[in-house]
Amino acid sequence: MRDFVVVGLSHRTAPVEVRERLAVAPDRLEQELREFASSGRFDEALLISTCNRVELYATSVDPVAAAHNAKEAFAGRLSEPVGDELLYQERGIDVIRHVFRVASSLDSLVVGEPQILGQVKEAFDAAKGAGTVGTLLGRCFTQAFATAKRVRHETGIAEGTVSVSSIACELAKKIFGNLEGRRTLLLGAGEMGESAARSLRQTGTQLHVVNRSDERAQRLAELCGGRAVPYERLSVELADADVVIASTASEKFILTPELMKGVVRTRRHRPLFIIDIAVPRDVDPRVANMDNVFVYDVDDLQQVAEENLSVRAREASRAEQIVEEEVEAFVSWRRSLELAPTIVALRKRFGQIAAEELERALPRLEGASSSDRAVLEAMGRSLVNKLLHQPMTQLKAGAGEPDGALLIDAVRRLFALSEEETAAEVASPEGSQDARVGQLAAAAATGSTGETK
Amino acid sequence: MKAGLFIATALLYALACVLYLFLLTRGSDKAQRVPGTVFVAALGAHLAFLLLEAPAPGELPLADIAQVLSVSSFGIGIAFLLASYRFDVTILGAFVAPLSLMLFLASGLGSSYAPVPPRVQSAMLTLHIAANVVGLIAFALAFAAGVGYVVQEGLLRRRQLGGVFQRLPSLDVLDTMGLRAVLVGFPLLTFGMITGTFWLLQAGGSEFYVSQALGLVAWAIFAGVIVLRVAAGWRGRKAALGTMMGFVFTLLVLAGYALRAAGGNA
Repeated sequence: MRDFVVVGLSHRTAPVEVRERLAVAPDRLEQELREFASSGRFDEALLISTCNRVELYATSVDPVAAAHNAKEAFAGRLSEPVGDELLYQERGIDVIRHVFRVASSLDSLVVGEPQILGQVKEAFDAAKGAGTVGTLLGRCFTQAFATAKRVRHETGIAEGTVSVSSIACELAKKIFGNLEGRRTLLLGAGEMGESAARSLRQTGTQLHVVNRSDERAQRLAELCGGRAVPYERLSVELADADVVIASTASEKFILTPELMKGVVRTRRHRPLFIIDIAVPRDVDPRVANMDNVFVYDVDDLQQVAEENLSVRAREASRAEQIVEEEVEAFVSWRRSLELAPTIVALRKRFGQIAAEELERALPRLEGASSSDRAVLEAMGRSLVNKLLHQPMTQLKAGAGEPDGALLIDAVRRLFALSEEETAAEVASPEGSQDARVGQLAAAAATGSTGETK
Repeated sequence: MKAGLFIATALLYALACVLYLFLLTRGSDKAQRVPGTVFVAALGAHLAFLLLEAPAPGELPLADIAQVLSVSSFGIGIAFLLASYRFDVTILGAFVAPLSLMLFLASGLGSSYAPVPPRVQSAMLTLHIAANVVGLIAFALAFAAGVGYVVQEGLLRRRQLGGVFQRLPSLDVLDTMGLRAVLVGFPLLTFGMITGTFWLLQAGGSEFYVSQALGLVAWAIFAGVIVLRVAAGWRGRKAALGTMMGFVFTLLVLAGYALRAAGGNA
C-alpha cells in the first residue's frame, strides 16, 4: 500500500540549536530532494525548511521503512543520535491533517502568521523542480493551499497584530496616517526600543537616536540606519519628532510634564506619540493627559498583543473545523483512486448505458419475440465487455505502477465517475476484490489513506 | 407618486444609516460596499424626488425652507461621496447618512411651511441661500470628520483598539479633512451672511432676529476655530469640538427659519 509519511521537527519539539543544524538553505532544497529520492525508499518527496520547522513529506509503498530512512537521514546530519522526543512522524491521514494545519499557520509559533504559506509554496515549487512530486503529494499540497486560503478568508485567525513592535507601528499609522517622512526619536538603548525603532524605520520614518553615551547612540544609529544626536539637544529633538520610543535605564522620569509643556508649545500641538518601553518608566503618567500627546507603555502594548492572541486562539478552533472538512474531502478523493471501486463504477456506467439504449430500441422493433430480445441483450453485454476489456487490463496493470493513481484519476475524469459513486461501491464490494476492498475501507475508516498496489 | 418617492427615499437613507453603523461597529470584509451602494440608491431616489419638485426645468428648488433642507441633504450626500474618493473615509457614512436622513425628514414637514412670498424674492436672496447651502454642506462634512476624530481619539486614549478603532480613519486624515472642509465652508458662510444682510435691508424687513443671532454665533465659532488653528496651531480634539459646535449652530439657524416658516411667518 502506498501511503503518506512525514518526519520532522518543529518549534514544538526541538530547540533552535537543533533546528538550525538541520535547516536546508532554499537554493539547496532541490538537490537535497534528489538525494532523498535517489535512496529509492520514497516514491515522492518534499522538504519544508523554515526557521521553525524542518519536515520531510513523502509517499512510499513501505511507509514504515521510509520513515525509518528519513529519521536516519536527519540523524546523519546532526552527527549524533536524535532522540525520539525531538522528531515526530505521522502516517496516512494524519499527514494530510498536518500539512493542512501547517499551511494554514495553525501549527506556527505565532498562530496565524502569514509567512508560512509562502514558505510551503516555495518548498512545493522546489520539489516540483526536483521532479519529486507526483499525483499524491501534488494533490495534497494543492489542497493544503486551498485550505489555507479558506482559513484566511473565513476566520479571523490572521487579524490583529501580535508583536509589540508592529503594534507600535500600527498605532503610529492610526495617528499619523502615512508614516513616510515622519520622524522617530529613539531615546535610550533598550533592546525592545531598538526593535520598535527598526519596525518604524521600515515604514519609511526617519530615525534619530539620543543616548546619554554618544558612542552608544552612534553605534545604535548605524545599526538601525538612523542618525545619532547629542543628548543636550533632547528638547529640540522632542519638538521635531512625531514618534518617541523611550527605553532608557533611568530610574527617574525623563519626560516630565515640565519638560513636555515647553515641547508641546514649541511643536504647536502637533500630535506626538510616545511609546514608553522602559522599566522603570521614562514618561511621567501626567504627560499622557496633555492634549495631542498619546502615551503607551509596555503593559498597554503587551495587553493589545494578548487580546489579539486570544482572538486568534478563538478563531483557530473554527480553522480546525475547516481543516477537518478539507481532510475529509481529500480522503474521499483518495478513496476514489482505489482500483476496485473504479472498475466497478466503470462497469456499472457502461452497463447502464447499454441497458438504457436497449430500452429505447426495443419499442421500435415491432413484433420482436422474446428470443430476439435475448439476442439483443446478449449483444449489448458482449459489446460492453469487449469495449472494456482492454481498458480494464491496462488499468489493472497500470495501477501497480508508481503513477497508477494518475491513470485511475484519468479514467475517472474521462468517464465522469464521481467520488460518491465510488464510496457507495466500496460499501458493497464484490467478487475477488472483496477482501482487499474491505480491508481498504477499514483502513480508510481508521485513518490510513492507502492505495491498492 | 411624490409621497411614495419621499417614503422610498427616506427608507433608503434609513437603511443606509443602519448598514453604515453596522459596518462601523461589526465590520465585514464581504459587505464593505453594501452600505455605500444603498446610500447611492438613496441619493438616486432623492434626485428623482428633487426633479419632481423642481419649479421649472433648470431652476434650483430653493424657493422655500423645505426645499433648502432637501437640497442640503442631497448635497451632503454627494459631497460625502466625492470626499470619500479623496480621503478614503467611506466609513464616515455612519455619521453622514444620519445627517442626510434627518435633514430630508425635516424637509418633509414642508407641507406645513409657508413659501416665501414673491414680494421678497430677489437675486440677492437666491445668492444668500445658495452660498449658505453649500457652506452648510461643507460644515456637515467637517462635522462628520470631527465626530470621527473625537470618537477615534477617545478610543485611542482608553486603549480600546478593537474593531471601531481599526475601521475609522487615522487621526491625521480626520483632522485634515475637518480643517479643509471648514476652510471651504467659512468664506461661503461669510458671503451668505453679507448677502443676507443686504437682502434684509433691501426688503426693508427687520425680522429673523433669532436666526440672525444664531448665524452670527456660528460664524464667530468657525472664525475662532480657523484663527486658533492657523495662529495658535490648534489641532485635534479641541478643533474638532469647536467645528462640531459651529455646525450645531448652523443647524439651529435652519431650525429657526423652519419654525418661523411653520408658524406661517416667512
